[in-house]
Amino acid sequence: MVLKESEAIVLRTYPLREADLLVTLFTRAEGKVDGVARSAKKSRRRFGGALEPLTYVRAHYEDRERRELARLDSCEVLESPLASEVTYARAVALAHVAELLDELLPDREPNDAVFRLALAVLSGLRGPDLWLPITYLELWMTRLMGYLPELSECMTCGRTLNGSRAFYHALADGLVCIDDKRLASSEISAESRVLAARMLRAPLESFAGAPWPEAQAADLRKFLIQTLQRHIEKKLVTAGMLEKGGF
Amino acid sequence: MSRFAEPMVRLIDELKKLPGIGGKTAQRLAFHILRTNDDDAEALAAAVRDVKANLRLCSICNNITDIDPCVYCISATRNQRLVCVVEEPTNIAAIEKTQHFNGVYHVLHGSISPLHGIGPEQLRISNLLRRVDDGQVDEVILATNPTVEGEATATYLSGQLRRAGLRVTRIAMGIPVGSDIEYADEITMLKSIEGRREL
Repeated sequence: MVLKESEAIVLRTYPLREADLLVTLFTRAEGKVDGVARSAKKSRRRFGGALEPLTYVRAHYEDRERRELARLDSCEVLESPLASEVTYARAVALAHVAELLDELLPDREPNDAVFRLALAVLSGLRGPDLWLPITYLELWMTRLMGYLPELSECMTCGRTLNGSRAFYHALADGLVCIDDKRLASSEISAESRVLAARMLRAPLESFAGAPWPEAQAADLRKFLIQTLQRHIEKKLVTAGMLEKGGF
Repeated sequence: MSRFAEPMVRLIDELKKLPGIGGKTAQRLAFHILRTNDDDAEALAAAVRDVKANLRLCSICNNITDIDPCVYCISATRNQRLVCVVEEPTNIAAIEKTQHFNGVYHVLHGSISPLHGIGPEQLRISNLLRRVDDGQVDEVILATNPTVEGEATATYLSGQLRRAGLRVTRIAMGIPVGSDIEYADEITMLKSIEGRREL
């Protein structure tokens, strides 16, 4: 058995037996890996705060023959969410990042683009603004998972939507024009579609500095979450909490 | 056909529901109960019944108690104006072990945990705010766990508790006593430097 080393982001931990923790890591080298951290609950000596969700670590682990779970040997903290103040809003946003990565990524499939995206978003969430990094994450995850439809043309008739009204429906893919919209459809504004197109061309840092209130691109986020939820066939718990707000 | 008699299977199944108890351990415990004398088995059954029938939450601090208010809340020797907020009733035992805290408690029964859909409204916060609003409290110590969830809970509570004349403090975080600085992880070291005190 070879001890492997990889940069990783801790996604979730679950108690296992009396003193162990079952840890879901998003590793750069191998994608999502589940491992057991022995005695991590009882003794903080070996892992310290390294197993807190959304901690960016250098993980050492080994796969065991005929076992699905890796054995987590040690984790060195590279960046911790506890290094800056954890407000309720930031806690919900961090949990949203963890939930999206955990639900959307397949096991043991490396994805460097998603890894770089996650690091950029975690870095963005160290600032006071949470809606910009969250919108950027949802948009890019939808695209990188292959679920993002064409935003500039009607799915039904193919007419261009640039400059005209566009609608989406919770049970259907893509955007449609006003003539093809179904009953109980929601509208996504032209500004949000322009913003989405810009976000798909530029890094997250290039949007920093400008104020980003909760209302900005709220329709785009709703569309993206509905798209993701339809594909994974389950509700995202943290999306509900973000929508409820109250921060 | 089952390997054991039906009452034994039932007991094993019930024991298996306990946290940390697997099939083998449940079987061992069930056979131990079978071999034990009648009085001990009856005492175990009565203790389980008693816990369910007589324990409730203290109406002031939410601690688990058999009398309401609990022993801490009615104690004349404790400082009722100093409240320590903890996540779970089991945290009280850890603080009591120090024999240095003479205040009272408030149990939240959890912490903010967005991944589990737990927000502030799911925690027992309202009676803490009532205690503070009634002017019964001089200081609130936030003793939630030093985790992302515990920190989020403490930050949220500190915002909710902002009142004139009320002191809100957070327990210190850092190097465990008896350990070695060489082996401390970066975040623990950072927190201990942030929380340093003057000598």
